Amino acid sequence: MDELELLKKDWQSNTAQDEPRLSSKDIYPMLLKKSSSIVKTLFYISVAELLFWVIINSIPYFSSEQYRLDLEAMYGNDSILLGVTIFSYAVVLAFVYLLYKSYKSISVTDNAKRLMESILKTRKIIKYYVIYNLVMAFLSMAFGLYYMIYENPEISQQFAKFSNKQMFFAMALMLLATAAFVLVFWIFYRIIYGILLRRLNRNYKELKKLEV
Amino acid sequence: MDKELEHSFVELLEKHQNIVHKVCRLYTNNKDAHNDLFQEITIQLWKAYPKFRGDAKFSTWMYRVGLNTAITLYRKSKRSIKTQEFETVSFKIKSEDYDDTEEQQLKLLYKAVHQLNDIEKALVFLYLEDKNYSEISETLGISEVNARVKMNRVKKKIKTILNP
Repeated sequence: MDELELLKKDWQSNTAQDEPRLSSKDIYPMLLKKSSSIVKTLFYISVAELLFWVIINSIPYFSSEQYRLDLEAMYGNDSILLGVTIFSYAVVLAFVYLLYKSYKSISVTDNAKRLMESILKTRKIIKYYVIYNLVMAFLSMAFGLYYMIYENPEISQQFAKFSNKQMFFAMALMLLATAAFVLVFWIFYRIIYGILLRRLNRNYKELKKLEV
Repeated sequence: MDKELEHSFVELLEKHQNIVHKVCRLYTNNKDAHNDLFQEITIQLWKAYPKFRGDAKFSTWMYRVGLNTAITLYRKSKRSIKTQEFETVSFKIKSEDYDDTEEQQLKLLYKAVHQLNDIEKALVFLYLEDKNYSEISETLGISEVNARVKMNRVKKKIKTILNP
């Protein structure tokens, strides 16, 4: 007999007896317990990320008048700064909307492949949000450094005393520091999502492999 | 959610709990992990229940939610990761013509199934549950032809595990 046929015979004949049957009294409390699914974890991480970047971007702006003035000076005038601020909040809102829509589309009653795809799509949206923030962080750091060196009288005087070689090293150091900052964040995200979605990715690849 | 809904759900789950137990048996290898997965599947079923329409059979719907939870949503708890307690998953033979060699063979077979990957286990599970290829393909989201091809490969793989 085919091995699996033998297994099937056994599977169907004794499946009922093997496990202790739960009564409705055992099941009711289970309904109150919290889920620990990857979708829930993904949701918490995405909310934390949204909040993290919003807070990081807002705290200095609201807490220090000097910072605001510096920013205004940097951007030249108030309206450009306002435009940039509105743009950044619009981006956050757009991501919130996309994430909400994406979470809504995750349904445990879809077929296995579609369920995996909708989770991966959600993860992709979070990834784009992270990339957007890292790019913005990099740009604003670079822009800030440029401003500091060329527009701030005290520092630009200091820099004027530098030789070409010293200038080169100072710039290279600053660029490296900025790149390292972005890189550390990126690795951190890769680790978080890598661990969380390792199994899902493996299973999704396995399903996709069947289509080739 | 109202009490009536809760009551009807618990009643249905109690009646069909075997399906969930079987999924847990396949995807876990100790009692704690089994209970953990059972709990998660129950939560997922309950969360999806308000959208459950009577046009599908409750049991068919359970297969889908159960497998999706086991394959995709479930985060293995720490205690279940490295414990290899195949022996604790007992498979008692209830047939009257008790056969020692058959029992031995079955033990090896169950052990071989436990070595398959998540998707292969899902295929075997649906096969053991006597689902046809159209149902298997719908549950996993692959074509019927691919489900057949994969099933044949899984059968071969089991043979190889048994006779290396």
